[in-house]
Amino acid sequence: MSPAFTLCLVVLFGLAAIGAPIAHSMIVAAVVYLAVAGQDLGLAAEQMIQGIYDSFIILAVPLFIVAANIMNEGAISDRLLDFCKAVVGRFRGGMAQVDILVSLIFSGMSGSAVADAAGVGKVTINMMIRSGHYSPGFAGAVVAASATIGPIIPPSIPMVMYALVSDASIGYLFLGGVVPGLLMTLVMMVLTSWIAHKRDIPAEESVPLRKLPGITFGAFPALLMPVILLAGIYGGATTPTEAAAVAALYALLLAAFLYRSVTWRSLSNVFSESAKSSASVGLVIGSALIFNYIVAVENVPNSIASMLDYLDLKPLAFLLFANLLFLFLGCLLDATTIILVIIPLFIPACRALGIDLVHFGVVAVVNCMIGLITPPYGMLLFVINGATGIAVSAIVREIVPYLLALIATLLLLILFPDLTLWLPRQFGYQG
Amino acid sequence: MRRTLAWLRALADNVSAALLAAMFAAFILQIFTRYVMNDPLSWTQEVCVTAWLWLVLWGSAFSLTERDQVRFDVLYTWVGHRTRRWFAITSAAALFAGFAASFPASLDYITFYRIKKSPTIGIRLDVVFSVYAIFAAAVIVRSGYEVWRLLRGGRLPEERQTDHSEEHTGVPTI
Repeated sequence: MSPAFTLCLVVLFGLAAIGAPIAHSMIVAAVVYLAVAGQDLGLAAEQMIQGIYDSFIILAVPLFIVAANIMNEGAISDRLLDFCKAVVGRFRGGMAQVDILVSLIFSGMSGSAVADAAGVGKVTINMMIRSGHYSPGFAGAVVAASATIGPIIPPSIPMVMYALVSDASIGYLFLGGVVPGLLMTLVMMVLTSWIAHKRDIPAEESVPLRKLPGITFGAFPALLMPVILLAGIYGGATTPTEAAAVAALYALLLAAFLYRSVTWRSLSNVFSESAKSSASVGLVIGSALIFNYIVAVENVPNSIASMLDYLDLKPLAFLLFANLLFLFLGCLLDATTIILVIIPLFIPACRALGIDLVHFGVVAVVNCMIGLITPPYGMLLFVINGATGIAVSAIVREIVPYLLALIATLLLLILFPDLTLWLPRQFGYQG
Repeated sequence: MRRTLAWLRALADNVSAALLAAMFAAFILQIFTRYVMNDPLSWTQEVCVTAWLWLVLWGSAFSLTERDQVRFDVLYTWVGHRTRRWFAITSAAALFAGFAASFPASLDYITFYRIKKSPTIGIRLDVVFSVYAIFAAAVIVRSGYEVWRLLRGGRLPEERQTDHSEEHTGVPTI
């Protein structure tokens, strides 16, 4: 490691630690690196401009953000809630089960955990608390935990970012997330029903079966969304980026014409809010591109790979070590930062050890999503706190069992790569 | 002064929203002409990436408040008021120095592209890329002002969140 790079890391972590925005810290650290290494200071601007201007796949990120925000604005989530209530409301802890199922369906339409929690999650929290059977902390914990499914089931914003830094195929990454996402759902539903039995939380009033067709029909256009998305991508008709645009358009058409729930005013709000989120996340992506350029110039990934070689780590030991590190960092850092800055350091080592990059990517994204609910820095905890006013500490107390269940699921995914890779292989993946 | 600033900020927000809407519309048009008309337009892709570049840098320069940025604030919220002030001054000063030092070189890089035009629409690339200079200038002015303000005993950034922050949770979407 050159002195310039050491200084660059000191500046980056120093600035980030005292609360400077991560993106700006990366740019300043890059400038320090260029100055000490005697290179052109304009390289920082060049890497960022070219990186953003040339990478077409990353456009999926703002489009998925728009799609998620439109679905939250429209009455789409209401129809889905009615449907889920009819299906799983009849079980013990009905409302919590409804939340998990609605998260699963929503995750097939949006690629964002935060959007799921702030949108439909906010609604289910209110319903749980109003029913009087759920403490606010428990309601918040269920919603936070279930929102982590959002980016595992395709589409997925973090997987698009991972594809950008690893060159793995987005299509296969998306497919790789399906079984793990379903597994997470199953684990959380079983856990919830156990907790509901223990605390004697009653079921919702069960919806008569004869009403089910009508309710399903009302939710049908919304339920069709994941089908359109996935058929578009895997039928080979559209690229994932185009599928993101189609998803946003479909959500817009549903909300505007079928459910008539979007006005010009709310639409302009959707675009205004989405623009802010997109700019914020885009700046981190752009700055990470500068940083990744320096990491490549410094040959850091190869030094890590040769160090691992020296340690003679087996692939499984490496995976376990990397995941422990990501879990630890997930307590402190934002998921975007981990995926764009930390994970690229491990990719050459994966290649050297023969670890499949789709498997690694899905596991890493599941890991980062767990990081969204681990204190002290857990984005979903903050979002739910911001949207509902439930204290973060109350959510944290109730989230522990869910956290343990998700970590156990993560371990299963690490130990059995076939859970992730089976579905992509059915579609011709050669991994 | 305050009203002018609020008006300018609303204008900047509208520009960001319009850029995103333009990008979305161009994308839909591209898909429509490719898959439905079987005669794809060539300029839509360029509109998309140009709007995206401008959205990221313009939005970061003018639309994002302190709370909208991705940051690590565990340590910052943990330390006392006095230390916090020094944290805020140091980080603003570092941003000012870093962006100011690289500004001339960045400008050089951008103006170098005046000889090149974008492939399909033919806009000069120095114009397309100029948004980086706008972004960098905004960071320099903002952080410079922040250092000056904090050194004179002004309030910390998080204590000034009284205006326009509505219910926005200030987090990026992932």
